[in-house]
Amino acid sequence: MNHSAKRIRYVLKRLLQAIPVIVAILVVNFFLLHLAEGDAVDVLAGEAGSATPEYMAQLREKFGLDKPLPVQLAIYLKNVLSFDLGYSFRHDMPVSKLVLDRFIPTLLLMVSTILLAVGFGIVLGLLAASGLNTWRDNVISIFALITYATPLFWIGLMMIVVFSLKLHWFPTSGMENVAMFYEGWDRVKDIAHHLVMPTVTLSLFYLALYTRLMRASMLEQAGMDYVVTARAKGLTERRIVFGHILRNALLPVVTMAGVQVGALIGGSVIVESVFAWPGLGMLAYEALFSRDLNLLLGIFLLSALLVVAINLIVDIIYSFLDPRIEVS
Amino acid sequence: MSLKKWVTLIGFSLFLSSKLVTAQEAGGNLVYIVQPEPPSLAPYLSTSGPIGLVAPKIYQGLLDYDLDLNIVPELAESYDISEDGLTVTFNLQKGVTWHDGKPFTSADVQFSIMDVLKKFHPRGPNSFKEVSEIQTPDDHTAIFKLDRPAPYMMRAFAGYESPIVPKHLLEGTDIRSADLANNPVGTGPFKFVEWKKGQYIRLEKNEDYWKEGLPYLDRLVARIIPDASTRTAAMESGEVMYGAYGAIPNVDVVRLREMDSIGITTDGYSMINPVSLLEFDTTQPPFDDPAIRNAISMTIDRQFLIDNIWFGYGNAATSALSSNFEPTGLYKASANYPGKPDTAAAIKILDDAGIKADANGVRLKATLDLIPYGEDWRRAGEYIKQALGDIGIDLDLRYEDVPTWIKRVYGDYDFAMNLNYFYQLPDPVIGVHRHYGTDQIRAGTPFVNSSRYSDEELDNLLVAGATSADPEERKGIYHKIQDKLGTDQPVVNLFEMKFITVFNKKLKDHDYSAMGSYSSFDRTWLEK
Repeated sequence: MNHSAKRIRYVLKRLLQAIPVIVAILVVNFFLLHLAEGDAVDVLAGEAGSATPEYMAQLREKFGLDKPLPVQLAIYLKNVLSFDLGYSFRHDMPVSKLVLDRFIPTLLLMVSTILLAVGFGIVLGLLAASGLNTWRDNVISIFALITYATPLFWIGLMMIVVFSLKLHWFPTSGMENVAMFYEGWDRVKDIAHHLVMPTVTLSLFYLALYTRLMRASMLEQAGMDYVVTARAKGLTERRIVFGHILRNALLPVVTMAGVQVGALIGGSVIVESVFAWPGLGMLAYEALFSRDLNLLLGIFLLSALLVVAINLIVDIIYSFLDPRIEVS
Repeated sequence: MSLKKWVTLIGFSLFLSSKLVTAQEAGGNLVYIVQPEPPSLAPYLSTSGPIGLVAPKIYQGLLDYDLDLNIVPELAESYDISEDGLTVTFNLQKGVTWHDGKPFTSADVQFSIMDVLKKFHPRGPNSFKEVSEIQTPDDHTAIFKLDRPAPYMMRAFAGYESPIVPKHLLEGTDIRSADLANNPVGTGPFKFVEWKKGQYIRLEKNEDYWKEGLPYLDRLVARIIPDASTRTAAMESGEVMYGAYGAIPNVDVVRLREMDSIGITTDGYSMINPVSLLEFDTTQPPFDDPAIRNAISMTIDRQFLIDNIWFGYGNAATSALSSNFEPTGLYKASANYPGKPDTAAAIKILDDAGIKADANGVRLKATLDLIPYGEDWRRAGEYIKQALGDIGIDLDLRYEDVPTWIKRVYGDYDFAMNLNYFYQLPDPVIGVHRHYGTDQIRAGTPFVNSSRYSDEELDNLLVAGATSADPEERKGIYHKIQDKLGTDQPVVNLFEMKFITVFNKKLKDHDYSAMGSYSSFDRTWLEK
């Protein structure tokens, strides 16, 4: 069997394995969420200021909240299997539409953050490791420590104060200019302009992590036998670092990036809130407080799928970085 | 005094609008804050505050109210109340069309009141309780037939409280799940265009608006910004130009009001009348004894709460009714609302009632639930805990999320004492009765009589207050109600809240109506 056919088989196998995982996630979440006091009807009625008991009973019947839990679960699973994520009663909209609407902004923020954090983290870690215990290493390590220890919301607010209110370089919040509603390329530029501050804020936290990981990993690899061999062979220091150490040192960083994608969706709530970025994190947060369980489950499902997909991609990247790791 | 009151204001309103046209500048886009995101845009189903910030720009009511609470015409150009108070005739504006081009007629009014608001609106069943029938002799006349006089009803016709909705789009559908909730079609100055969840709601100028030359603004965008500090920053940078109902927290207001470009006002909330208060479970110990509730009212330093937690925005409560009802004559200061806290008097009340302190000075223990609407309420709870500690009432504080709290207080009655606030709205019948009447003990319905206070004398007074057509007689009835509630204190009012509207000074004429931010904004304009 050749290499690429093997790879495809591997991917299919992994996807099949993911199905029971995702069903388990749904079932566990379903019961966990129902442990919370109050339901969507309580919230809707509370927001309305007042409501009659008959109205609330009618709503519960309409939402299917009057049925026993196992029946509700069975109905939900059946719908999911037919690719129907259900209806958000709070937003009066199909869950799939709501979630997909927020998916693009989330993806934008996530991808740009990962690229920025991993990219700069690798470069800074490399610089720190190659100048071990010099001023360069110290400055980078202190920078990483500070950004890691500073609360995200504070960084976000300080960015707004400095870059929006004082320097007027960037808008305070939102995804686009809603007074003007640009179209075409102007809109792309406008969104990119709005994306800068949330991305930088969110990246700073993860950047520190990758910097430290990369530095440690580089140092560990630098002490390996194969590096001594390479040096004995008379390779230039440049070849050794970029051709040998870097490639091996990247593995833990890539692993970490794969694991953190899931955390990024949840961890972006603060940044989404501070910069009014319309992402999934904020949607999940609001859904929780309005007991919009269909919507929450939909978001969990999407996040689960995303994590499975990213981890698969990470595993494939491994095999490129280190051909000894076989995909089978 | 004659009850017959023909108000022909159309000439006046034409004069007013022609005068305004010369002074204003047309054009411009207004971005303002709506927070939190509204659950829908169906003001005929929900009175949720954020809906009020958007929907009245699209839907209108029959009447509006100016800053002195005088009735001004809106979809009705004039009205007439019969001598006996049982017939109210509205003469409707001519040439009004819905945003989809269909004409607006008296059938829409009849359908909106009888088939929508009276059945599905949270407060509609109370506001229009006495309306038995609406006759529509022609397209521009709607005659309300009442079983009993309902003077309070005339205060409930604003676009936020009782929106007139299109019959041709709702009739024959399931009103509660009609698509109109997310795609509103009204008669108002702005048309709905798009709602990007989590970002903004976009409205554009209605070119066919029935008021000549209005609205001035080309576009309204309601922006959703979850973080309070960011809202303040966006206001400071000019990205948003208007925020009401505490969108900018008081702590930031005291800073922003120093800026040249920013103005603030506490006008525009007189139809809402928010009052903060303590509810008690009056059916079981410890708070079934009125003496304890009176002692609590005597102890709390209301001015301290206002000055230190709400930055001076508020007035100490002096009665069960807000002093904002003073112009109508209904308000009267009542007993047990001291100007200054009187701990000694409170201790004497408790001693006289035989509630003894133990060795640690503790007379009773209870849990105080806090309304989960932000940090201010937590701080207020901490103050109350400390203040009541001085008279031997030992409180634990409990802060939960909104659904849990609503279910606890209004569903399960599993509480002893609850810090909360209520809207008293434009008339006590609409906003205050729900807190005290025996018929308002409705398990599972939020924001009604959770104290489960039930008193026959008071119930009779409430009925009399709702059905008396004579303003003088009504005053007397409400004075008695306030005396009674001042003595029994099933609910201890703390202070009349003053919400703050923060605006960019380029924005003009946003405060012409008593509805404030819940008005249509058709006369609002931007200075270039």
